Order: sequence, then structure tokens, then C-alpha cells
Amino acid sequence: MNNPFNAFFVVTSLALATPILLAAAGELIAERSGVLNIGLEGMMLAGAFFGFLATSVSHNVVVGTVAAIGAGAAFGCAMAALALLARADQIVVGVGINLIAAGLTSFLFEQIYGGAFVSVNRMGAVPIPGLSELPFVGSTLFSQPILVYAALLSFPLTWFVMFHTRWGLTVRATGEHPAVTDTAGLSVITTRWLATMIAGAMAGLGGAFLSLSLGSFAEGMTNGRGFLAIAAVIFGRWKPSTTLLGCLLFGAADALQLELQSAPRIPAILWLVIAAASFAAVVVSIRSSRARRKYLPVVGLAVVVGLVALVLSYVEPAIVIPPQLWGTLPYVLSLLVLAGFVGRARMPSALAIPYRREIET
Amino acid sequence: MRQSAGQLARPALGLGVPLTSVAIALALSVAIIAVSGGDAVTAMSALLAGAFGNEMAVSATLEAMVPLTLVALGWIVAVAAGRISIGFEGQILIGGTLAIVVALSRLGSPGPLDLLLAVLVSIGAGAAYAGVAAWLWAVRGVNEIISTLILNFVAAAVVDWLVNGPLQEPTHSLPFTSRVPVETLWPKIGIGPATTLDIALVPIAALVIWFVMYRTAFGLSLRMVGANRRAASLAGLRTTALSVLALLISGGLAGLAGCSLVLGAGNDRMSSGFSAGYGFEGIVVALIAQNNPMGVVPAALLFAALRTGGPLMQVEAGVSSQVVAITQGLVILLVTASAFVVDAMNARRRHGAIATQA
Repeated sequence: MNNPFNAFFVVTSLALATPILLAAAGELIAERSGVLNIGLEGMMLAGAFFGFLATSVSHNVVVGTVAAIGAGAAFGCAMAALALLARADQIVVGVGINLIAAGLTSFLFEQIYGGAFVSVNRMGAVPIPGLSELPFVGSTLFSQPILVYAALLSFPLTWFVMFHTRWGLTVRATGEHPAVTDTAGLSVITTRWLATMIAGAMAGLGGAFLSLSLGSFAEGMTNGRGFLAIAAVIFGRWKPSTTLLGCLLFGAADALQLELQSAPRIPAILWLVIAAASFAAVVVSIRSSRARRKYLPVVGLAVVVGLVALVLSYVEPAIVIPPQLWGTLPYVLSLLVLAGFVGRARMPSALAIPYRREIET
Repeated sequence: MRQSAGQLARPALGLGVPLTSVAIALALSVAIIAVSGGDAVTAMSALLAGAFGNEMAVSATLEAMVPLTLVALGWIVAVAAGRISIGFEGQILIGGTLAIVVALSRLGSPGPLDLLLAVLVSIGAGAAYAGVAAWLWAVRGVNEIISTLILNFVAAAVVDWLVNGPLQEPTHSLPFTSRVPVETLWPKIGIGPATTLDIALVPIAALVIWFVMYRTAFGLSLRMVGANRRAASLAGLRTTALSVLALLISGGLAGLAGCSLVLGAGNDRMSSGFSAGYGFEGIVVALIAQNNPMGVVPAALLFAALRTGGPLMQVEAGVSSQVVAITQGLVILLVTASAFVVDAMNARRRHGAIATQA
């Protein structure tokens, strides 16, 4: 049977994962500092539009990218001001930011360009010297727009900042126990503000990739990717390594769904992957739950799923998964992780709680 | 989560705050229109005309109030018990889906009984879908904000699939379900061409929820759980069960909104994404109403008018109807920020009092 896991699949996965990777890296920092930034979607959309706008005016992709970062950071600033200074509920503020971003970008797009398709400079592919000359994969895998490499590098960078710098320590402390940070003389608000702006800037950068890799803008083109990034952070249990995996997984699932759209049946190798994933989930579950009997039915279910998938890989029934249901995979996986069915998920203790210093009057 | 829920459930700050926020938001929107070269005056008059100008417009505005009111009431119930659910979009979709399924299956013969069945099923379906998030919270400790948000996307994808797949209309060419026979739809009442009986839900639901929340022991228990969970638990209340129940009720209200959307206002079939943002706008309506069930009705009227007036702005003034989304977002941000301003003013007043006493 044909194998969907070819070089094209890898390239498509990376391209689809890049905006999510960028946004998730920033969101990880923000959430570790205690800010649940639901407005990520709006920040990404703002980055996509203003990056597109700046590129269209200046005919320069770099200017566009910088503008996108700025737009995302500006919305991040707005989010921070309302959530941290006004101590408004972060969810509500996020919803408001999303609405304003969607309305503003669509409004400006319609007013300025009349809503028609406009083409601007595209991001060029940057071949990595040496690697891009490899046979088969070189010209596709190692010759991508620079943001793809940046997206992959953003996670090691995030890891380093979070766990090997003083500021990273402050961020993590602020997310778990802001009173500690306050007592140490550091500002909770400043830390969270900066983290939120970083999230906005990274989301804006992700949005820039969306519009500039395509060379045009469409209203609402982020299409839920900002929320996927949030889901990826949850799926990754607020750790850089697993969040990176989550983003790649979501990108891969999207790419796979695209590839399989015209296939008459699910290929055997995919069933094998599902089986492997189920067994891996079983192993992770057992390792982290030890002797908890509560997990037994879930572990049993995962074993059954794995075995069924093994059988189906041999039989190869003519089933096709509808693309819409395929799209729920990232969300269902995140929920499973959140519910603790695949290892344990601990969210930052102070997440989404506005910080109030206890003053004695 | 307690802190932020308590902040949301604070008692009324008076009418001045929401009115001022709306006024500022409208002023800013006018400014945005003017700056981008549009004709603000024509735009605003088109907005009003689109919302109230003729019978059709009034009818549309009244109908839009139904899901907004129901979702807002659902939010109020959940927040009163200390739970922040943002899953109304998904619950509307699931409720509407099951309403359509019941209506199309003609379990009774087409008629009012079928409609009643569809209504009950939609309430149950919305409640059950909220129950997923409630279960995840109660048993697995999953933050209900995140789970309800995620479940929205799952529901949207499922509905999209159903409307393009198993539930698709017979010719399999349009993303709609088959049409429901007219006897099973919400019956039309006099006002305008497309007003149906479901608008009665607006005053009825608001009154019922107000009564339950503020005049029954059950409502009091819910509010106690939301105000101080630990104290409520020590007082003997079953806090987890009550919180779950609050989430179920809010889901049921959203499900009912779904039923109104698919079977009311002259609609007779379901399409993908019919929840169309009502699930989030309803939250905004509740916030403007300061989480007061009676204040929900005028706030819903405002947002319904914004919704129905928007498209005419586009037609008559050439201004993108997206400006309405900007206005809505501004209202949200201003209302939430205004709480801070009022806090600061109150704090200064308190400090002043203490200073003069000393």
C-alpha cells in the first residue's frame, strides 16, 4: 500500500507546524508566568495582517516580518495592561482581543484592499549550505523559509531561557507562587507583562509566516491555529520538549489528513503508527501512575485500541476518516493529557489568577 | 480560579459603568470609521436602520436576542457557582444538532409535540455536553475554562462533518441538513415576517433564572458555593455536586439556544457553524449586565441590534460590517477595565474616609 510518510509529508508537516511552533513557544513562557493568553489567536491574526500590509507597502518581506512582530507585541501589551493592571479576567480579555483583532484586520483589509485577493512578496526559501544538497530530502527539507528553522530553534531557546537564566526562574516562580517573586523584590506585573508581550510577538511572527509564506492575506486566515498553539502547550504539559513534540504532532496530523483526503482507505502503516502510539501511551501511563488502580480501565482501553489497530493494519479496511473529525485530533489529545490519561499534567499553580498583593490596612 | 470567579460575580456596579463603556466603544468605532475614510454618520444611521428600521429588521433583532439572552443566563448561573464555562458555542451546536435530529426523525407526527420533544432533547444535549467538561473538572481536576474551550472546537468539527456527511440533505450538494417540516418549527407570531414564538424565551428565561437565583434556596446555595467554597462546604453544602449542576444548567440553556437557532426565526435546517459567535457574545452580554439576570435583556437587545445592523452598514455606507466586531471587542475590554477604575475610585474614597477619621 502506498506510504503517506514521504518527504512531501515531512515538508508539509513542518510548514503547517511552524506558526503553531512559534506561537506555542511564546505562549509557553506566558502561561508559565501565570497568564492564560486566550488572545493568542487574535495576536497571530494581527501579525498576519500587519505583516502583509507592511510588505505590500514596502515590498520587503523583512519589514513585513518586523511589523508583524510589532503588531503581535502591541496586542500582547493590550492584553497585559488589562489583565495585569486592571486585573480583568484573562479569559474575557482574551476573547475581547480576539474579537477586536478579527474585526480590525477584516475591516482594514476590506477598506484598504476591497477584500480582493492581493499578492505580495513571498518569503523565500533559504537553503542550508551542504545539507540542502542531499539527494531526495535536501532540496525540500533543508531549503525552507528561514522562519521554519527559527520555529524549530525557538524551543531549545525557550528551554534555555526558562531553565538556565535568572529571568526564566523568575517567570516560573511567578507562575507557581507569585508572592514569592514579590517578596524577593521582583515585580510580578513586569515579569508577566514581558512574558505576555513575548507571546504576542511570537504569535505575530507565526502569523507573518502564515501570510508571507503564501504571499497574501485572507480574512480570518489563522483559522484556530492560535488555539491549537494553546492546546499544544497543554498537551506538552507546559514543558518545552513535549510542547515541541505536540506542535510537530499537530502539524503532522494536519499534513496527514491532507495527504489522505484522496486515498480510498487508511494505509496499513498508519494503523501501525496508531498501534505504536497506543502502546506508548500505555507505557507512559504505567510509568507515571505506578500502582494506581484507577488507571487500569484506561490502560486496558489503550491496549485494546493498540491491538485492534494492529489487526486493522493487516486487514486494511476501506475506511476513510472524514477531514473534519481528523481536525479534532489535536484537541482530543490535549483533553486526554489534561485529564491525566497519559501521564500527569500539572499546570502552573497561579495560571489565570490575577495577583493581588496582600496589604495590611 | 476562585479569585477570578469572585471578581466576575461581583454585585452590580450600577448602570453608569456599562452605559459609559458602550458609549465610549461606539465613539471609538465612529472614530475608526471616520479615520479610515468612511462616512460615519451614514454608517451609524444604517446601523440603526438595519436593527430597527423596518419589520424585517425588528424581527431579526428580536430573534437574535434569544440565543444571546440564554447564553448570558447560562454564564450567570455557572459563574454564580464559581465555574467559568466558555463552552457555550459547542453546547449551542450540540443542542441544535440533536434538535434537528429529533425534528427530522419525526418521532411523533410533525407538530407541536415534536417541537416540544426537540426542545427538551436540545436542553438535555447541551447539558450533557457541558457535563463532559463538568465530569472532567469534578473527577479529573481539569480546569473547566480550558476543557470547555477545547470542546467548542470538537463540537464545531463534529457538526461540520455531520452537515457534510451523515446528516446532509438528500442531493448531497449543499452543506445543510434536510428541511424540517413546518409544523415542527417554532410557530410564527405576529410581529414581522420571521418572528417566532421562541422570543418568548427571552423574558421567561430571564425571570425564571432571576427567580431561581435570588428567591430560592437552591439559588442561594449556588451563590454561596461561588462566593466562598470552603465556607459553603463547612455549612454542609455539597459544593462539587452544586457546581456540576450549575454547569449542567448553563449547558442546558445554551442547548436551548441552539434549538432556537435551528428551528426558530423561520429557519428549518442546520448548517455548519450556525452558532456564529453567539456563544461568546452571550458572555459579553452577561458581563455588561453585571451578571444580573434582569439586566441581561437590555444588554442582549444592544448586542442583537449591533449584530443585525452591521450588514446594512456595509450596503448603505460602504463600511465593512466588521466594525461591529471591533465595537463588541471594545465593549468587552472597556467593561472589564472599568471594574478596575471603579475599584480604584472606591479605594480612594475609603482611604479618604479613614484619613478624615484619624
